[in-house]
Amino acid sequence: MPNVDQFESVFKGAAKQVYVHQAVRVERVTVVTDLEAGTPAADEVKARAEALAQGFSVDATWSQLSRDDYDNVGSLLKAIEAKRSDLIVTYRNLKTIDWKWHNTLGGFVDVLVQATPCPVLMLPHPQEYPDLKAAPAQTVMAMTDHMAGEDRLVNWAAAATQPGGKLFLTHVEDDATLERILEAISKISAIDTDTARQEIPNQLLREPRDYIETCRRILKESEAALDVEAIVTTGHRLSSYKRLIDEHEVDLLVMNTKDHDQLAMHGLAYPLTVEIRKTPMLLL
Amino acid sequence: MASDTAAATGNATGGAHAVPMGVTILFCVILAGLIACLALEEKIHAKKSVIAGFFAVISLILGAFLLPLPFESATLSNGHSVGLPVFIPGIEWNVITIILGSSIFVDVTSKSGLFTWIAIKLTKASKGDPLILLVFYSVMTVVFSAVLNNVTAMIIVGSLSAVSLNKLGRNDKLLGFLMVEGLLTNVGGLLTLISSVPNIIVGSAAGISFVDFFVKASLYVLVATVITVLMGAKVFKIQRLRTFEEKQRAAEQVAGFDENDGIESKGFFWFGAAMLVLFICMIAGASVDGWPIADLGMGFVAMAFGIIMLIRYKATANRFYSAIDWDLLFFFVFLFVTIYMMEYAEVLTLIGKGVDPILGLGEMLGSGMMLGVAAVASSVTDNIPLAAMLAKILAKTSAEMNIAGNSDSTYWWSVIFGANLGGNLTPIGSASTLVAVTIMHKHDLKVSFIRFVKMALPFAIAQIVLAILYVLLVIPLL
Repeated sequence: MPNVDQFESVFKGAAKQVYVHQAVRVERVTVVTDLEAGTPAADEVKARAEALAQGFSVDATWSQLSRDDYDNVGSLLKAIEAKRSDLIVTYRNLKTIDWKWHNTLGGFVDVLVQATPCPVLMLPHPQEYPDLKAAPAQTVMAMTDHMAGEDRLVNWAAAATQPGGKLFLTHVEDDATLERILEAISKISAIDTDTARQEIPNQLLREPRDYIETCRRILKESEAALDVEAIVTTGHRLSSYKRLIDEHEVDLLVMNTKDHDQLAMHGLAYPLTVEIRKTPMLLL
Repeated sequence: MASDTAAATGNATGGAHAVPMGVTILFCVILAGLIACLALEEKIHAKKSVIAGFFAVISLILGAFLLPLPFESATLSNGHSVGLPVFIPGIEWNVITIILGSSIFVDVTSKSGLFTWIAIKLTKASKGDPLILLVFYSVMTVVFSAVLNNVTAMIIVGSLSAVSLNKLGRNDKLLGFLMVEGLLTNVGGLLTLISSVPNIIVGSAAGISFVDFFVKASLYVLVATVITVLMGAKVFKIQRLRTFEEKQRAAEQVAGFDENDGIESKGFFWFGAAMLVLFICMIAGASVDGWPIADLGMGFVAMAFGIIMLIRYKATANRFYSAIDWDLLFFFVFLFVTIYMMEYAEVLTLIGKGVDPILGLGEMLGSGMMLGVAAVASSVTDNIPLAAMLAKILAKTSAEMNIAGNSDSTYWWSVIFGANLGGNLTPIGSASTLVAVTIMHKHDLKVSFIRFVKMALPFAIAQIVLAILYVLLVIPLL
């Protein structure tokens, strides 16, 4: 005799997350640098930002906060609040040479990314990567450990991808956590270990795959005619993400950084933001 | 009149009261104990089969010492003697094989994804409108109850209601949906001869064919379903969506359901669908006189279809055997044995004397009263022993009463309708309403016994009153 839980599982499994496409438009962009206003270096930073953000900032008003516009974190946050921006563009290690050591965002950006409600476009440091050209993003990767239902993430990533470009929707399930759960299950006699070992990873990866399929279908039919590719896998997320970014020569990485109910960044977002320095990142 | 049932039932013992009254009273106490324990099943934490088995053992032991049981061998038509245990003839093997075969058939067929496909297709067709969803789910409940069984129907529709209403953000309507669906499982259980166990027991005793049953009961099921849905929509404030935005959002949300998700194999899906149609046709055909399948009976048809479906899972058939509700099957076996002993102990004769005043009221009043009494009795106790006892009592009434052997007698239909609809009066009245309450509790909808009765009472009264009018005025015309 079937039971309630069996059928509830079947129906829950059949209730797929469907992507809902929504255009992204930004009206006010603020570029924060530690350079002097009006210098070629500052203009180059703005040019790089404009190239990357052209997909969603067509009629946006651009403003700048230069070296002399803020002294400390407090004054920077006040200045940004006054701008009422929809997007902030900046780079790591403002007003410091710590960019040479690759293991910190710097005091200003550390707070900025967590304290502001709007997305942050993190560019490579102009001194660390002086030869990077301003170019739109042909290959964009949206990355998360829970892709199913992430309409906002996909919308931003799709908006940032050049028409005709390639969009990778990447879901990486942490295999260490998964293994810990399966190990615990193997010690519970009421749950069949072999079934759990086979079915749980299958289900965890099936949901993002199904969701990405709806993204692919809808985005292909949209004006931008994007080529959407799914990457759904398990792995140690930091190293997996770094490998995937290098492998696919990603021009822009898009990811969520925090939950609605917290200020601090996700456990993975911070190390990724610190370690992946050459690839521009759009932090939502 | 009062002596009609007594004399007729007394034939089991070969004469007028061959069993001392003291022995009969003793067995009455045993029967009362069985019924009380079944009613308090949840409280005493005992499975039905164990309860019935215990009382069957007690009855047999006492019967061996105190009753004139037929311990002789049975002689076959070819002259051979066969030594059968004395209780074997008491078991309604037709009922057992129908339930066993149907269980296997339904369980395997559900693996094809057929029922979930139908359920999700209807969900999408509703475009997420709550009222249309209620109508579709109600029809689905009735049809599934008729074709599968009440409990499976409630499990499928109840779990889908929870998932789809959650997706639509309409969890506040879940209680209403589950109540209406729970009530309709017992209405749907009236649609065919095999839709519920009381139908099988009483229908077999009355000699009602599958087709005849459907013809006579279907109109009531249709009307009762409409009334229940209309009442449910009003009472639980389930209304249509009003604005365009609401409708669009709801349609988008249900569009995400994938009806093909549960289908492992398209081939097996279509095979399951075809077999289901064939199963219903063959079950119907098994009551047509004149061909060998009818002689083999509905039980054979159910078992045969169960085995045919198992061919797909021939290497893992034990999985389906494990999933059979053995508690229910053994409950029936032991119940039939106990009732068989009660027959020999002339307990049924005694109960028959109690039923005589109802039979003596004449066909109209008597049938109406019988329906009401059966409904009330089945609301507080298991309707299967009730149906089994009443079936035996009616089958042994005298020829002049024109009940036994007369499938058109409204008394049979009173018992059928009463035994089914009584389950709607209380949450313990039927297994399917119990499942509805279980799903409610699972989703934090705390529904106490009293609250359920308060909510269900208007529906149950409407259904029972309609049933009385239907049995008395409509069935004689069909």
